[in-house]
This record gives sequence, C-alpha cells and structure tokens, in this order.
Amino acid sequence: MIQLFNVSKVYSNGVKALSDINLEIEKGEFLFIVGASGAGKSSFIKLLIRDEIPTKGQIMIGGRSILRLKRSEVPHLRRKIGVVFQDYRLLENRTVFENVSFALEVLQCPSWQIKPRALQVLQMVGLSSKCDAFPAQLSGGEQQRVAIARAIINTPRILVADEPTGNLDPDNSKEILKILYRINKLGTTVIVATHDQEMVDSIRKRVIALEKGRIVRDDLRGAYRCEA
Amino acid sequence: MRLRTVLYFMRQAFVSLSRNGWMSILSVATVAIALFIIGSFFLLVANANAIASQLESDVRIVAFVDVSVPREEVLEIREKISKDIDGVVDVQLVPKEEGLKKLGERFGENNNLITALGGKNPLPDYFIIRAEQPQEVKNIARAVDGIDQVEKVDYGGKVIERLFEILRWVRLLGWAAMVMLTGAAVFLISVTIRLTVYARHKEINIMKYIGATDWFISWPFFLEGMILGLIGAAIALGTLYFSYVSLIQNLTLTLNFIPFISDPVFLGRTLCWLLLLGVVVGALGSLISVRRYLKV
Repeated sequence: MIQLFNVSKVYSNGVKALSDINLEIEKGEFLFIVGASGAGKSSFIKLLIRDEIPTKGQIMIGGRSILRLKRSEVPHLRRKIGVVFQDYRLLENRTVFENVSFALEVLQCPSWQIKPRALQVLQMVGLSSKCDAFPAQLSGGEQQRVAIARAIINTPRILVADEPTGNLDPDNSKEILKILYRINKLGTTVIVATHDQEMVDSIRKRVIALEKGRIVRDDLRGAYRCEA
Repeated sequence: MRLRTVLYFMRQAFVSLSRNGWMSILSVATVAIALFIIGSFFLLVANANAIASQLESDVRIVAFVDVSVPREEVLEIREKISKDIDGVVDVQLVPKEEGLKKLGERFGENNNLITALGGKNPLPDYFIIRAEQPQEVKNIARAVDGIDQVEKVDYGGKVIERLFEILRWVRLLGWAAMVMLTGAAVFLISVTIRLTVYARHKEINIMKYIGATDWFISWPFFLEGMILGLIGAAIALGTLYFSYVSLIQNLTLTLNFIPFISDPVFLGRTLCWLLLLGVVVGALGSLISVRRYLKV
C-alpha cells in the first residue's frame, strides 16, 4: 500500500530529518512510528501527505509515486489520506457537526449524503450528543475525536495521526486509541506517530522506531522500548 | 459547477465580508479612491483628446496667390493643389471680390472702401486648404509654397505645433498615470485583502489537508474581491459623475469656446468601463493574495 525507497529529507536550513528510509506498509496495517522529539516522526508524516517532498528517494502509495503528482493532483491524494494532528486543528467558529461535515462540503458532496454520514462518524467517535457544541466547549479528548471524525468522514484508505494523544491525559488517550483501533478494524490503514509509551505498549502492533532520522527497529508485534 | 457549490461560495464570500467589517470598508475605500483618481485622469485625457481633435480639424492652410495672376490660372492652380498634393481634402477659393466684401463688412455697412482704394481691388485671391491628417499640414504648406504663383502660405505654424506638443504630453502622461494607478490599485487591494485572507489562513490550511482543490478554496475570496471592487467602483463612479458634471457646467460658463465632453453616451460608457475595472481589480487583488496561502 505504502512504500518508501531510500527516502531522505534534508530541510533547506540544513537539518537532516530523515536518512535512507526503506519501508513497506501493508493495506489494513496498524503501525506506530515511535521516537524522541526530533527523531523524524513528523517529517515522516509530512512526506506521506505530500506536505513535504523528500530530498532523495521515492514514495509510492497504492502503486503510484506521490512525488510525480502534479500540483492539481495533490488534493486527490489527500482525500485518500485522513490526517489527525496533535493540536486538533478545528474551526473555532463552527459547530462540531459543521467541522465534520466541512470535509465533505469541501469535496462538493450533495447535502443529502453529508448529513447521515456526519452523524454516523460522530456516533462512531461517541460524540453524537455534542453536534451543536463549539470546539471551545469540548475537552481536549473530545476535540481530538471530532478531528478523527473529520479525518475519516470520506472513508480514506489511510489514516495518519501525528501525536494524536500528545495533549491528552491517559484516559482520553486510551479512548483515542480505541477509536483508532476500531477504524483500523474496518479496513483502514492506520499510522500513528507518537512518543506515548503506554499507548504503544497497550496493543501489540507493528512498531517502527526512529532515531536521528533512521529506522533503528521494526517489530511486527512490538513495544515502545526494545525488548531484547 | 453545481448550484449548491455556487451558493456555498456566495455564502462564504458574504460571511467573510461581514466578519471582516473594517477590512472590507478599508478595501472598498481603497478601490473607490483609486478608481476616482483613475477616472479623473481618464476624463482629463479624453477632454485633451477632444480639444486636440477639434483644433486639428480646424487647422487650415491659407495660400495667397500673386495679385497679378489672372483668374483662369488661379482655377488651374486650385485643380493642381487638390489633385497633385497628397493629403489635401478640400481646396476652397476665396476670390478677391469676396475678400474685399469681407474686409468692407469689417469697416461697417456704409463704407466706401472701394472708392477709398481708388476703384481698384488690391487684394489677392486666396485658397483655404484643409488637410486630411493634421501631421500633413506642414508638408502640404511647403508644397503649396513651392508653386510659383503662390506668394505666401500661412498655417499658424509654430503656435499650432506647440499646442499639439502639449496636448500630446497631456495624453501620454494621462495614460501613464492611469496604468500606474491601476497597478497601484491592484497592489493596494491585494494588500488589504491579504489581511482578510490572513485572518482565515488556518481555515485555508485545514481545507488543504482535507483535500480541497485550490480553485475551491479561491472562489469565495475571488467573489469577495469582486464584490469589494464593485462597491468601491460604484462609490467612485457616483462621486466622479456628479463632480464632473458640475465642474463642466461651471467651466462652460466661463470657457465656452473649449469643447468639453458632456456627451452622456460617452460618459455612460466610461463609467461602465471603470465599473468593470473595479471588479477586475478587486478579483485580481484577492486572487493574488490567496495564492500565497495556497502553497501548503
């Protein structure tokens, strides 16, 4: 589903974020990218959604190089990949329902399709009772669940989350993980970049550890720390 | 484009206009002032053109024939001028009798100019020649002067040339000012709209991540710019129209020999063009500023 070949990323200010990454991610996989701050997790995510372009190497998604995409094709790539950020990135002046349906609005879906789908995903993240609330009236965990609902409303094949629990307490983190796990069970490939050890250790899934921009470990049923 | 999408864009544009109230007012004022100045320059140039062409069509060459030349020969010369010299539209012969009559009229009804002159008419026959193009006047004058029997040629020479020179500069500077002002207006509007866009860059950013296309993101801003441009232009045109009309009314009272433009068709067309310019400038200005935030 996702393949990276010899991918390196050096930013224009000279910072080497990723070096020589080779990786294959299967369809329907659940994958953690772990590592300390500055290890290259966010850069990895940015490369996948073509927010950044690698300095070297090739990235294939669904058998197509995403580096060769024209500017006008990038939106279509992003529709196949739902993104969740640490800081939620919700629109403050819109309700929960509007934030979620916004994603389909942008894709010009007819409204008779939008409403039931929005209610469905909000129910999935357990927020159907908060439809008319504004983001500021929600807790951090709830806001992140809205962000997840928005990311999956157009049923992307891949969901990437960059530190989704970075701002949350353990209980809320668990809740987020549960939701991500459920989404994965429905067939979506889920990639989570995190340094939340508890989350990684609670479900034994594939773990890729980054250190100074290199893959130092790739365990199929791994934990946050190396169990050698 | 679906109707729903169009409505969505319109709603977004109006929501943004009212949400950024002060910025919207600022942008409208910018467009209004810029268009008012551009419009003023345009009317200045148009009037300079009108005056110039009026003067140009008035330029005539007067050629005096030697007094001793008999009438038949004078008629031949007339044929020659109208046929052989390029750019001549019309040659009118003013015979010496008519010249004397005109002169007599100046002295009053009951004069006996002819007696005073000893019963002989001392005036020469002369031609009034009109040129097709004002630029040809000089050459025609020279060619007519080359004819042996022609004693003297007069066409206002230096004065007319100076006047044309001045009018040409007025036109040139007017156009240059208009072009520069239009550029400045686009720039100013794009700066003001950029601020409203900046206020929404977070939203633009989220839209990009969700997978909205560039044009989908740009359209509401594009419409917003058009609306700003339209309102600004309407204000500018109203002001311009009323101040121009009252100015012309006052000027024609004191300077009624100058042919100021007051043709309503021309004015209407000018105002329409300015309105269009306002809309285009507004749309362009906002498009330029949105593009900067689309590079995510």
